Amino acid sequence: MNKKVQLKRLMFSIESLVDLGQEVSSSKELTEKMKAALYVMTGIFPVPTAALFLYQPHRKSLDLLVEKGRRDKTKKKIKLSVLPEYTKRFKMNEPHSVRTMARTAFFRQNEDLFTLLQTTLFIPLFAKGELVGAIALGKKLGGAAYHAADKDVLRVIAHQMAITLHNARLFLELAKKASENKRLYTSMQRIYHDTIQAFAAAIDAKDDYTKDHSYRVASYAVAIARELGWKKNDVEGIYIAGLLHDIGKIIVDRNIINKGEKLTAPEISEIQKHPQVSYDILSKVKFPWKNIDHFVRHHHERLDGKGYPDALMATELSEGVKILALADAFDAMTTDRPYRGKMALIDAFQEVMNCRGTQFDARITDTFFHVLRKELSGAAKESHILPHLQGVDVSGFKGLA
Amino acid sequence: MTPKGYINDLGAESLEQTSDQFLGKGVKKLVVNFNDVQYINTIGISIFTSIVQKTMEYDSTLCFTNLKKVHRDVLEMMGLIKYVKVFKDEEDALSFLSEKR
Repeated sequence: MNKKVQLKRLMFSIESLVDLGQEVSSSKELTEKMKAALYVMTGIFPVPTAALFLYQPHRKSLDLLVEKGRRDKTKKKIKLSVLPEYTKRFKMNEPHSVRTMARTAFFRQNEDLFTLLQTTLFIPLFAKGELVGAIALGKKLGGAAYHAADKDVLRVIAHQMAITLHNARLFLELAKKASENKRLYTSMQRIYHDTIQAFAAAIDAKDDYTKDHSYRVASYAVAIARELGWKKNDVEGIYIAGLLHDIGKIIVDRNIINKGEKLTAPEISEIQKHPQVSYDILSKVKFPWKNIDHFVRHHHERLDGKGYPDALMATELSEGVKILALADAFDAMTTDRPYRGKMALIDAFQEVMNCRGTQFDARITDTFFHVLRKELSGAAKESHILPHLQGVDVSGFKGLA
Repeated sequence: MTPKGYINDLGAESLEQTSDQFLGKGVKKLVVNFNDVQYINTIGISIFTSIVQKTMEYDSTLCFTNLKKVHRDVLEMMGLIKYVKVFKDEEDALSFLSEKR
């Protein structure tokens, strides 16, 4: 080869290495990226057949990732067995002539595959001292031998491809861990919700009349918060607050809760302690949602400042508190109580409307009945209120809607 | 076969697949017209290398036509030219192939 041609070849090799750099650093999916890299590599010499393997440490095998040029593609799954003791004998990113490997156990174990792939050179790919893959190169076009200069170029390419495979593996491991963490998080979240629901059921069990009260309040609160456009995590927070808002009732005497006649002043005072107790219990819990303790503490507050325990005014009440207050009161109206039967929906509606602006926030009230109307007309995608109004006379309200 | 534009990515694999199909069906004479090819890089060379190799394995004849000088120089430098017949245009290639048995 004269000097001019040699120089041209050199320039072409440099251009090819630039192409390779672009391919391995591209945002393509790994298989496509490595296939392009293999084509760049085989275009330099040029080589008609080649294969690239990915090392699978748990299987102790080099699994075919991409290949080119093989005529007989009947055999699909191609894996080279690599026992750990072999890997120690490999020279990192060094082209090994298959002829010189003929006596090794590694070659003998994989001889059929080397023949199938017409392998002349085998290059084990190492990154950070670990086997990450391998390249099997066929003969050069026309059968010419690989020169020392060719092997120099191959070492450079092998190094780049090894780093790419290593990075891809790290990324895959990270993605796997992230997926595992997500699964664990979902599972823990489910356990968390189940536990909270069990607590809610325990609270409600104290009152013969209010079975599932907390669950219904939570559902109504979710319906309003969603309609108001709350973020998913905040909706979840108001749901949890709904489930736990009455947890403070555990300190109230069961006989007071279930008393079928008018409560005495001391009994009223006793029962009015429950929001504060709920707050005392829940403020010690580090919830992944904001303001749970604040919501439960103030769910008996009113816009006009006549609520308890802090007699806050409208401007001091958050949207969450206003939602919970309405949801709680509405459920009390539409379920049987020791001192009266459940109200018809139209009556509950009138009662709430009478207190709109004094006890209940106007926007929250309107939103709640808007959602209820949508559910009654079948326009809502999901029903959060209607399924809980079993046995409640809705006919009058329907007519009104 | 009439490749077009840039032969510089895996999109050009379709050329190899087309030639595989022809050779698999027993076609013994293939012509590649380079008239509309603007650029060939190493990936392109790699693809043509496989086509050349398989043509030889199938004992078929491969002709390249309408090669620009820059492309001819690259193919020559990479040692592909000696395994193919090069013609000025398709007409010459077809004339040669019609005489060839």
